[in-house]
Amino acid sequence: MPPRPMHHLRNLRALGWLLHYAALGGFLLFALFPLFWLLKVSVTPNDLLFNEGVRLWPSHASLEHYVSVLRHSQFPLFFRNSLIVSGVTAVLTSLVASAAGYAFSRFTFRGKAWLVGLMLVTQMFPLVMIVAPIFRLLTPLGLTNSLTGLVVVYTAFNVPFASFLMQSFFEGIPRELEEAAWIDGATRLQGLRRIILPLTLPGLAATLGFVFTAAWSELLFALMLNSSAAVSTFPVGLLGFVSKFSVDFGQMMAAGVLALLPVCAFFLLVQRYLVQGLTAGAVKG
Amino acid sequence: MRRLEPYLYTLPAVLLIASILLVPLVIGLSYAFRDITLLDPRSGSFIGLEHFRDLLTDSGFWGALRNTLTWTFASVVLQVGLGLALALLLNREFPGRGLIRLGVFLPWAVPSFLCGLDWAWLFNPVIGPLPDWFHSIGLMQRPENLLSDPQHALWGPIIANVWWGIPFFAITLLAALQSIPRDIYEAAVMDGAGAWVRFRRITLPFLAPTIAITVLLRTVWIANFADLIVVMTRGGPADTTQTLASYIFTQAFQRLDFGYASAVAAALLILLLAYALCVLALRRTFAVRS
Amino acid sequence: MIPRRCLLLAAACLLLTARLYADTDLKLVEVLTSPERTETLKSLVAAFERRNPGTHVEIISLAWSTAFEKLATMVAAGDAPDVVEMPDRWVSLYADNGMLESLEPYLAGWSETRQLTPRTLEVARAVDHTAWLLPYGLYLRALFYNKVLFRRAGIAGPPATLDELRADAKRISALPGKSGYCLRGGPGGLNAWIIFGAAMVGNNVFFRPDGTSTLTDADWVRGTTWVVELYREGLAPRDSVNWGFNEVVAGFYSGTCAMMDQDPDALIAVAGRMKPEQFGIAPMPKGPAGKAFPTLGYVGWSIFRRSLYRELDWKLIQALDGPEANRIWNQRVGALPIYQSAQNDPLYSSAQFQGWFAELSDPGEVPTVMPTYLPGFAYFADSLVVRTSQQALLGQLSPAEMNRQWATYLNKARRKLASRKH
Repeated sequence: MPPRPMHHLRNLRALGWLLHYAALGGFLLFALFPLFWLLKVSVTPNDLLFNEGVRLWPSHASLEHYVSVLRHSQFPLFFRNSLIVSGVTAVLTSLVASAAGYAFSRFTFRGKAWLVGLMLVTQMFPLVMIVAPIFRLLTPLGLTNSLTGLVVVYTAFNVPFASFLMQSFFEGIPRELEEAAWIDGATRLQGLRRIILPLTLPGLAATLGFVFTAAWSELLFALMLNSSAAVSTFPVGLLGFVSKFSVDFGQMMAAGVLALLPVCAFFLLVQRYLVQGLTAGAVKG
Repeated sequence: MRRLEPYLYTLPAVLLIASILLVPLVIGLSYAFRDITLLDPRSGSFIGLEHFRDLLTDSGFWGALRNTLTWTFASVVLQVGLGLALALLLNREFPGRGLIRLGVFLPWAVPSFLCGLDWAWLFNPVIGPLPDWFHSIGLMQRPENLLSDPQHALWGPIIANVWWGIPFFAITLLAALQSIPRDIYEAAVMDGAGAWVRFRRITLPFLAPTIAITVLLRTVWIANFADLIVVMTRGGPADTTQTLASYIFTQAFQRLDFGYASAVAAALLILLLAYALCVLALRRTFAVRS
Repeated sequence: MIPRRCLLLAAACLLLTARLYADTDLKLVEVLTSPERTETLKSLVAAFERRNPGTHVEIISLAWSTAFEKLATMVAAGDAPDVVEMPDRWVSLYADNGMLESLEPYLAGWSETRQLTPRTLEVARAVDHTAWLLPYGLYLRALFYNKVLFRRAGIAGPPATLDELRADAKRISALPGKSGYCLRGGPGGLNAWIIFGAAMVGNNVFFRPDGTSTLTDADWVRGTTWVVELYREGLAPRDSVNWGFNEVVAGFYSGTCAMMDQDPDALIAVAGRMKPEQFGIAPMPKGPAGKAFPTLGYVGWSIFRRSLYRELDWKLIQALDGPEANRIWNQRVGALPIYQSAQNDPLYSSAQFQGWFAELSDPGEVPTVMPTYLPGFAYFADSLVVRTSQQALLGQLSPAEMNRQWATYLNKARRKLASRKH
């Protein structure tokens, strides 16, 4: 094949990168503008909220809403509860889902199709309809009005999807790698730990990220299962800003911005493992 | 012991799902055959298929069904398409990738309730920028609230849903993309395959199982997703944005008629089951081919 | 000599009762929650706990937007509170299902009962002629109007009749970017339809002697048509077809629309954002028959029958709703007082509140209680009315047909109620 002139290739590549960055810029704008708006409302004092509604930044920015949320509301408590529930749920779900996902990927066993089907079916029923039965189920166990109850329920909700996710990632890893390890004398579990697990880190990272975020934002069950403020999570706290008399948008948005911080931090942490996974793949190649 | 291995691995998942999801699901479904009004101690009698007969003549149900199809189809197509595009864009190394990745994934972190409120504000002509922008680019005759327009109100929650849901597909597809061994690509490049051919012959087949399952799960999930609609339009104006999920919520928690709500949920379940079977059949053909 | 065994038994009994006494936990649920009001509630409850040592009250504050479903779920699952804040629309639901404790015997033995205004007792007994709740305040609709916008449109004062309201709305809507009326087309809008409809008819009779709804009468149809035309002629913001309480109040204090019908508790939100000279309160404009029918709502405290400490619950209600406590409470809540003596309270002497007292003393203003005693009324008001009224406003349904659908539902509800009595 005759070599192409060098400047042609360079121009094409430059154009490619330009389009690449332009497209990314478009996505970034679309993703961040509503969040910017959240931020903007959170620093707008109440009296300017409606008069200067359409401006991109208030004429008089103020941090009064953040002060109210941190000092005069129960947000720090709700935050802490959300962190506990989401963190524990994420870890627990990843463990259970990895085991199940591995089983789905590597074994064929009787009842597998039924199990998969059942998992799918449980995702299809609107959660609204099982609030009352779950409430009745958890009450004698003392799991209502508690953080533990939420963790149990959230884990159950997320396990099906997380299992499928982990299964997909396990299937992307060739069986030969494991079999090679077995030939070398390792047990299945050792093979899992030493060979497979490092390769599924991107998948594990993704799963942890998803489950954490899903648990972090869940509202319906946090609202219905728990009543006292001591065990309320922050989405329930956000609802508290909508009273009969007014919607305290400034404070609500401030709380929302604050609530984004842990998830950002979590994503940052998780991203590192995504990169690690990529590097490991390159070394393997 | 060996034969029990798979069952041991799946045991924790099975226990959790059976106790927390399956049992309540069966109980919830059983409501569809009974006359259950919450709080009414006199209700609870078995009435067979009466709720389902009422369903057939309920215009609210059929309207909600139509809206559900629009809502689900538009949301999924846009989320998958844009999510895939974003994942491909992020799959290359470039400076600032980490930060940009964080930025585009942020919408997923916003709770649905807050997302709905945020977008409701954006669409509001008094306090949001979008109506003015729509007007200046000619999409609207006057700056108005999209959410009050009976013809197009459903697009408000759809846009909010797409904004919220793109990160999900982008993350899953990106992780799947990164699991594809690089040497296959390198071999293809050495064989002279162009970018499009590489995409079609390597990327897509490798992504297919992930795409299939995530699309299936997300479709099911979106069909059941009432939050954004309840927060942004409450199903209005005049029920034009009412989907089956929000309709179930209304029947259950405003009318307290858990029996009828359950019947609607059962109908939705049947539809989603049919859809799932189709997708799974498709996936099997794909797997056989590759 | 008292035998040792008796002493031991007595000691055990004392310990047991002491333990029981120390362990009295009451659960109080508030539903119209707002952070400032919760503080007031906490201080009233603290005073009660001090007066009744050994009692501890747990306050559960439900967010109003989800309070109905949350409370229903709690109660249905067996987690009912002892004392609950009960809005008028919910009373028939809980009372008809036998969940509330009748307060008649408690009221009969209470010294302050004769201090209550007759109207308070009347609304307390709206369902089944039994007092299922002790109201803490009455909510009477009045017309809020934006004085600044009125001046700009060259209008001297608030409208006194429906025709004047229409004319004023027209003049204000001619101002760029402004509308005459803040219509509540979304949830909670039923009150306005009833107010204007009844004003057109000249009476607030909901049911004929034979038990059928009057809504299908020609005059009622004229009333609802009047409201629809208000919207279709552009005298209300186009958005308002989907407006709820918050949007209406926000529309008013942001100056987008100049008039709204609201209860005294909206005063708190408005007064916090507008200066006193910028807005005013006037009695609802009268219809062709020279009468107006502002709706009267109420909220109070109820005791759940399943509670183990009903006597103590009543004491708690007294602590929350006695004359002195009610005065403190209404300073925060802004409802009209339930005690006859309170009319002279400085809280109600402000210019804004004078609007309500003018309304109350005007014989042409007839406070109207909605038929909340009907089963399924909450669904009617929050769902059926919202959907059909929006369709009517958008021109998809004729007002006559809308009235017919409402009448059909109300007739069914009335028949259900009658069959329950037998």
